Amino acid sequence: MSVNLSCDFSDRHLDSSVSTSQRQLAITISVDGSISVSNTPLNLCLVLDHSGSMGGQPLDTVKKAARDLIDQMSYKDYISIVGFDHRAKVVVENQTLINPESVKEKILYLKAGGGTNIDEGIKLALKELSKSMKSTISQALILTDGENEHGNNDLCLQFAQLAAAEYGITLHTLGFGDYWNQDILEKIADAGGGTMAYIESPDQASAEFQKILRRVQSVGLINAHLILKLAPNVRLAELKPIAQVTPETIELEPEKNLNTYIVRLGDLMLGNDRTIMLNLYINHNPDQIVAASTANTIHAVTAQIRYDDPQSKLEGLLSPEVTADLTLIKDFQPQINPQVQSSILALAKYRQTQLAETKLKQGDRTGAVTMLQSAAKTALQMGDQQAATVLQANATTLQSGTDLSEAERKQTRMVSKTILQIPTNQISTNQIPTE
Amino acid sequence: MIICPNCSHENPDGASYCDSCYTPLPVVTISTCPNCDSPVQSDASFCGNCGFNLKSASEHEKSMTEETDNTSSPEEVPLPAESPISTPEASPPDLSDDDLALVQELIEPHPLTQLQQIGAFLIHVQTNINLELPNNLQVIHIGKPNNMIPPDIDVSGFPDSDIVSRVHADIRFEGNAYYFEDSGSSNGTYINNSVLAAGNRHKLRSGDRISLGKGDRVSFVFQMSS
Repeated sequence: MSVNLSCDFSDRHLDSSVSTSQRQLAITISVDGSISVSNTPLNLCLVLDHSGSMGGQPLDTVKKAARDLIDQMSYKDYISIVGFDHRAKVVVENQTLINPESVKEKILYLKAGGGTNIDEGIKLALKELSKSMKSTISQALILTDGENEHGNNDLCLQFAQLAAAEYGITLHTLGFGDYWNQDILEKIADAGGGTMAYIESPDQASAEFQKILRRVQSVGLINAHLILKLAPNVRLAELKPIAQVTPETIELEPEKNLNTYIVRLGDLMLGNDRTIMLNLYINHNPDQIVAASTANTIHAVTAQIRYDDPQSKLEGLLSPEVTADLTLIKDFQPQINPQVQSSILALAKYRQTQLAETKLKQGDRTGAVTMLQSAAKTALQMGDQQAATVLQANATTLQSGTDLSEAERKQTRMVSKTILQIPTNQISTNQIPTE
Repeated sequence: MIICPNCSHENPDGASYCDSCYTPLPVVTISTCPNCDSPVQSDASFCGNCGFNLKSASEHEKSMTEETDNTSSPEEVPLPAESPISTPEASPPDLSDDDLALVQELIEPHPLTQLQQIGAFLIHVQTNINLELPNNLQVIHIGKPNNMIPPDIDVSGFPDSDIVSRVHADIRFEGNAYYFEDSGSSNGTYINNSVLAAGNRHKLRSGDRISLGKGDRVSFVFQMSS
């Protein structure tokens, strides 16, 4: 397995008559491998909420979904299950799936009752996962249906960050029903390098579990970091300069070390490209342009990936370095790269929805409506009709003076973060436009 | 510094997308003031150095070019409508916007119209037909032919006039202003898309959109010509 990097600027020409220009750089990371499913053993921990509100059909469907999930796993995989209400306890200790039936039977013992304490659950999960960390892909699936009323949200986040940074454990979150906290679950998933799913009605539970399992099974390389070196005249934007745009939108926090920035990417999936977008400002002398063509090239950014390969048990591997170049030209005509443009729109949709939510929390309803409408317009522009419909409907609801329901808030978060509909113009154009 | 029109984030110079919400930012280029040759931003209204009105300069240029265009084709200029109230049947068919603009230009400098205190007219939106308001009447009745109050402006020839009541609305002229009121129509009257309750009057300003009945199907735009 090897890592492929490709860099594209929003426009790779710079106007030589302007001293400062802004450019977006999209870095696409893909894993080259002959196989589509990794055969590295999984080390999976299910963290299941069995608080009182899960009683009846919800808990039954979750149990069934968990049992179905176990059927899909390999006998080489490790499983552990943690159940939590206002306290957490280990239901199935970390073990290989040699006897899946006994594991499935233990799931049935989960009874609904009590409150919700997510951080206790995460803590126990990390403990269980740490028992089989060697040459496995360690992941936790956290399912909850409520607010973390008996726990501490900050503690959850700290655990997630610790899990990702120190142990290389990925955390996925699943919100069940309408009364979970989308802010905290999103933060856990983002910090834990995983995905967030929304189970709107119990019958979707199994499908969402399978979706995450497929993602987990396609993990090829783990603990990946993007290493960026910027040229002296290139700087990152001050506000949130690095974000992941595909497969879902996540704001990334770079660690700075002189001119080098390191961004944690976590797992790299086979057949599922990651796109990271950088917002850069480039300074240059306005009259720097030289007749000879080579002097007008700026080696703006050098990118490299550092990763671990659990299959061959090698750590700290480095991908080849890729340099992203910009060219200064005299008679500047914008030449927008359509692929980067769609990444920009994806991030715009996310940011505009976030701003709308912030405004709504501050009580600025009119501002929130305007911002949601621009987000809907952005979604339309990128061909994401479904998101546009949801966002516009919410703007209309707010405008009429009605508050958004809990379900609508969750839908908004999901459509802002992911692209529900693959834009039609993106399917066939898999090439960089030439001059 | 460029302030984002969408989220008010302050972006550094050179930004083409807002750092915060990724809205494309307005491209501001620098041009020179025609009066004093100092640099001005392309979207500025006045020159920062000499105070020269940049907007009026550009509009003046535009109208100059339009006028020369008009004189180049005098044979196409249609005559203004003779009667002050032109019924749909009598008016010239299918006037384009350009033609209407020419008609207005020809009417305005006419010595007779200058004698009137205020000239006002309604433009029927769906057909672009121009109806001048009779200036000798205190109350102008709008509707369709009937035995009780015959309309001064008869809309029965317009498309969809079946939704307009026979006695639909009045325009009153009082103290140099026009007022619109609904005289108890069946389907109501909408001014600028909000309903005009029966008994309320609306002081008309140029550009007001008046819809008789629901659905914006028989609509007029009010214009003052002086």
